[in-house]
Formats: sequence, structure tokens, C-alpha cells
Amino acid sequence: MIQLADAFLAVILLSVLLSLASNRLKALVKIMALQGIMVSLIPLFLAQHQTLEGGALLLMQVMILIKGLLIPGMLFMAVKRVSIRREIEPIIGYHASLFTGLMLILASAFITDRLQVAMPGNQVLLMITAITTLSAGLFLMMSRRKAITQVIGYLMMENGIYLIGTALAKQTHTMYVVEFGVLLDLLVAVMVMGIILNNINSAFDDVDTGFLEELKD
Amino acid sequence: MLELVFIVPILTGIIAAFIPVQLGRGVLLVSAVLHLQITLMGWLGKISPAATGYFNSAPEGMLVLLVTSFIFLFISIYAVSYMKETQMNNESVFIGCMLFFLASMSMVALADHLIVLWIAIEATTLVSAPLIFLNRSKAALEATWKYVLICSVGIALALLGTFFITLSMDLAGVDVPLTFSSLSAVAAQLNPIWLKAGFIFIIIGYGTKMGLAPMHTWLPDAHSQAPSPASALLSGALLNCAFLGVYKVHTLMYGAGMGDYSSQVLIAFGLISMVVAGVFILNQSDYKRMLAYSSIENMGIIAFGIGIGGLATYGAMLHLVHHSLIKSSLFLSAGNILMGYGTKQVKRVGNMAQLFPKSFGSLFAGFAGISGFPPFGIFISELLIIIGAFQSGQYLSVTIFIFSLVLIFAGAARIVMRMSFADTDQEVLVEEKMLRVLPSYALLLTSLALCVWLPDQLYQTILNAISVIGGAVHG
Repeated sequence: MIQLADAFLAVILLSVLLSLASNRLKALVKIMALQGIMVSLIPLFLAQHQTLEGGALLLMQVMILIKGLLIPGMLFMAVKRVSIRREIEPIIGYHASLFTGLMLILASAFITDRLQVAMPGNQVLLMITAITTLSAGLFLMMSRRKAITQVIGYLMMENGIYLIGTALAKQTHTMYVVEFGVLLDLLVAVMVMGIILNNINSAFDDVDTGFLEELKD
Repeated sequence: MLELVFIVPILTGIIAAFIPVQLGRGVLLVSAVLHLQITLMGWLGKISPAATGYFNSAPEGMLVLLVTSFIFLFISIYAVSYMKETQMNNESVFIGCMLFFLASMSMVALADHLIVLWIAIEATTLVSAPLIFLNRSKAALEATWKYVLICSVGIALALLGTFFITLSMDLAGVDVPLTFSSLSAVAAQLNPIWLKAGFIFIIIGYGTKMGLAPMHTWLPDAHSQAPSPASALLSGALLNCAFLGVYKVHTLMYGAGMGDYSSQVLIAFGLISMVVAGVFILNQSDYKRMLAYSSIENMGIIAFGIGIGGLATYGAMLHLVHHSLIKSSLFLSAGNILMGYGTKQVKRVGNMAQLFPKSFGSLFAGFAGISGFPPFGIFISELLIIIGAFQSGQYLSVTIFIFSLVLIFAGAARIVMRMSFADTDQEVLVEEKMLRVLPSYALLLTSLALCVWLPDQLYQTILNAISVIGGAVHG
């Protein structure tokens, strides 16, 4: 079972790298859907979560539904509606981004090593993946111009935080009502961002955040 | 069932979205009155939270709840008149979101569970976003986008901080519910390193929402682009809610014996915010932005006061109450001016003293109040913070503090004088209406009244709230 978890984590890491290198927005959304599903499945394979209760299973299904289907679906619709296919002229180029991604993995491994947290089940790879996903999400938000890519960066960051949460917390703290609330917030956040995105598109004929520099002192 | 305080606005908000607008305005008013009543019943101890694992009536939360509820009532009176006179598209969205906003803020005030607090604070961002981009102008869109994105990322970091706090529990082998009330009892046992890490992430996260510099960049945009009733609510109520998150974690740090560290961080953020606000106010050309920067300054003052400790914490809590009252009044006055002149530019507004005598009165009195002149409450709270800082020997900090206050006064005075007395060729678009002027006066008068007579219950609640971190009025 442990090996299976590692395989899933490797897929998540690859999806992070792929998202940093891809310039097609549709592909990016598909990667996010995959990543969302993988992230939701991870708790299944963790040693400390072996005894799965009904609540946990239900929550996992809801999570797959939201992270793997609903949110990517909304993003897909947004990409279609604003009719842009690719990210042109990112602030930081694709090769450089990919390189940064690799560096992030190294840095995460270093940090995880230094943290010396006695991880439940000794899940070192989980922590590395989590920190990489989190920081790559932040990087994606800063290095791309299109508003949609920024939303995707935010989602990736949120995935990373969730992974850190599952890596660190014992299951005794898990309260399904609360976790469901967090998911709901995420869903509504993407919905609100989608609505604003749509409005930005109709106001500026583009979703480039370079236009959003009117307000400043 | 003190939870009614957020259940009722949610329900009325849903109702308001589906009924005709004229009725919706009534629903807004009725909900505001109902909300204040439930809050007061909570204050009198008649009702208390039912879901004790998630919510409780902590003194600091009750204080924020009362302030929110009180200013919401006056803002809703203003909003009714405002909606009648402006061409607002999507009025039912506005009413619905105002009510949801009230609900989410009330939820923050009552939240006891760490993650419930997080959910509620994130919810305040999401439901207030539609309020900001109601105008659908390009500038409003930009402000909303920055607001949602910056605050969401910030608050996501706060979630990370919350996970670190759970880790500090696990590592120490503490097994209690993840609530502030039960954690504060065992704070001394928590793993210090991870608690500290949690505190840092949470202060960055909720500090973003609170408008502490240098994470404040969304605030001037959002506050200046939102319709005035919404700006008043953002500034007077929302910032307090974010502060509540910071404050609760600070009490945990204090309980764990790391109060010195978190105090230093709070003082640093407070002073940076004040200096940044001062610098940006000096050459400000937009009066709503000026008010927004003033909010950053005042949040800085509150963080500073809490950081100093002792008498200054009392000053900071008092400051929170008076800032909410005066700043929301100022934003409402600014709304009247915006409607009257149709511009936010200071240089195109002038001669208010003759053209809009009533709004001039409330703006000028509010300006005096926010600058710390007696007889308004901020005079007392700032004085207490300064005395507290001297008592604890923080001479350098208090020098920066006073310097920033002077800087901000200079910047704001220039703007207000120019708006009040300089010549203008601008025409009067909309006459001022009694219903839009009275709420700002009422809020100012409340601040004045609280200076002369502070109800004993309010006083006791503030003392209870600050006693956790060693704050007291005597000694």
C-alpha cells in the first residue's frame, strides 16, 4: 500500500512539473483535474489513515467530485468562453519555469530533511511533494499573466496545503463538517474568480492581468 | 442558539435575492434590527452558542460582534436611501451580499474552532467580492480581482499556519479539540517551534485581510471602488474580524510563554503599517483612498497597542470600537460627497462648507475624531496606547508612532481643508438627504457618548478580553 502512495505522489510531482511547462490552457486544466483526484486519493494509502470510516470515504468522494470534476469543469468553461488557447509571453519562460520547478523539488527535499518532523508512517515523499506543490503554485501565480493561470496557481497552492495537512495531522483531529466547509469555500472561491474573470474578459477583451494596473499610488 | 446571529442573515439574504427590490430594502433593515437584538440578547447572557465544539462567546468575539451589528444597522439605513438615489444595477445582489457579509462576519466573531474561523474569514472575502465589483467598471473589476486573489492566497497561508498549530499539538502529545478555548488551557504544553511557525503564517495570512503593511496592497483599491455603504462595512467591520484571528493566536502565543516574540512581531507590523499609511496619505489625490489608508493606519495602531501590552491593550480594544464607529461614519460622509460631486478626486471637490453643510459637518467632525482630537474616543485610546508604551519603556517605537500620527494628520488635514473650503466649479448633482446624513452623525455621537459614559458591561468585557494577555487598566 505504501508503494502505491509513493506512486501517486510521483504522479502529483510530475503533474506539477508538467503544469509549469505547458502553455496550452486546456491541457493545464486537465492536469489540474488529475492532480485534484490524486490529492484526494492520497489519504487512502496513508498508514495513519488505514481505518477509514464512512465519513472519511464520503468526504473523499465529495472531494474527488469537487476537485476533479466541478472545479476543472468550471475552469474549462471559462477557458472556452474567453476563447484563449495558450499563455503567450509568460513573465518567466517555460524552460526557466521548468528549471525552477526542479529547483523547488530540491529545496523541498532539503527543507523536509531539515524539519526533522517525525512524520506518521515516515512519509518523507509526501512532505516533499506537498511543499513543492505549494511553492510551485505560488510561482505559477507570479510568473504568468493570464488571470486563468493565476487561478490554477491558487488551486495548486491549495492542493499543496491540503497535502501538508494530511501529512501532518493525525486523523483524530479530522472533523468532516469542518473539512467540508473548507472544500465549499474553495469551490465558491473558484466560482467567484470565474465570474470576475468573465467580466474582465468582456471589459478588456482579454484576461491579461497586465491591463489591471490602473489603480495605484 | 446564539448561532442565530449568522443563520438569520443567511436566510434573509437568500430571501432578499428572490423578492422585488423594494421589499428587499425592507428585509435589509429588518434583518439589521433583528441582528442587533440577537446580539444584545447574547450580551445579556440570555442565549449562548449551542454547537460548543465550534462556536463560543469569547469576550473579544462578542465585542467585535456588537460593533459589527451596531454599525451595520446604521449602514443599512444609509444604504436604503443610497439605493433609491443611485442607479444601482443588481440591487438584489447588493442586498443579498450585504446580508451574507454580515452573516460571515458574525460567524468569525463567534468562531472558536481554528478551522471554522478560517472558513468564516475566507467566506467574508468571497461574499464581499460582489459588493466591490457592483459597478462593473474597469477599475472596480481590477480592485475585485486583486482583492479576491491577494486575500485568498493570504488566507490560504493562514490555513497552513493552522495546520502547523495542529502539528504542535500532535508533537506534544496533547489531545484536545482544536478550539481556541481548549488550546489556551494547554498552551504551555504545545510544541513551541511549530506554534511559532503557525503564528507567523497566521499573522501573514490574517494580516493580509486586516490590511497590515506590506500585505495591504488590495485594501486602498477595494475600499475606494466599492459603493460607499460597502466600503463603510469593509473598513468598520471586516478589518476587525481579521484582527480577531490575529488576536486569538496571539493569546495562544502568550499562553505558551512566547508572548514577547509575538508582541514584537505585532509592534513591527503595526509601525510599518502606520508609516506606509502616512507616506501614501501625504500626496493622496483621492479622498476615498485617503480614508482607506487611514484604515491601514488604524489597524496598525491596534496591532501596535496589542503588542505593547498592559494599559495599551485596553487602549487598542477601545481604539477598535471607536475606529469602527468613526471610520464607517467617514465613509458614509464620503459617499454623500461622491454622490454630490460625482468625483473622488480631491482637487475637483471644494466649498463643501457651503454646498453640503450637513455632510461637511459630519466629515469634518469625523476627521477631527479620526485624527485623535477630543471629545471623540480615539483621543482617549491613542493616549492610553502612548502612555502604555512609555510605561513599558518602548521609547523608539513610541517616537515612530507619534511621528506617523503627525504625518497622517498633516496629509489628511490638507485634503479635508481643500475639500471643505477651496473654490470649485463642480456642479451639485444630488442634494443631501436627511436619511443619508443622519447615520454618520449617529455613529459619531455614539463614539462621543462612549467617551463620556462607557457602559459597565462593555468595560468588563474589554477587561475580560485583554486579561488573557496580561492587559489591565490599573498596573
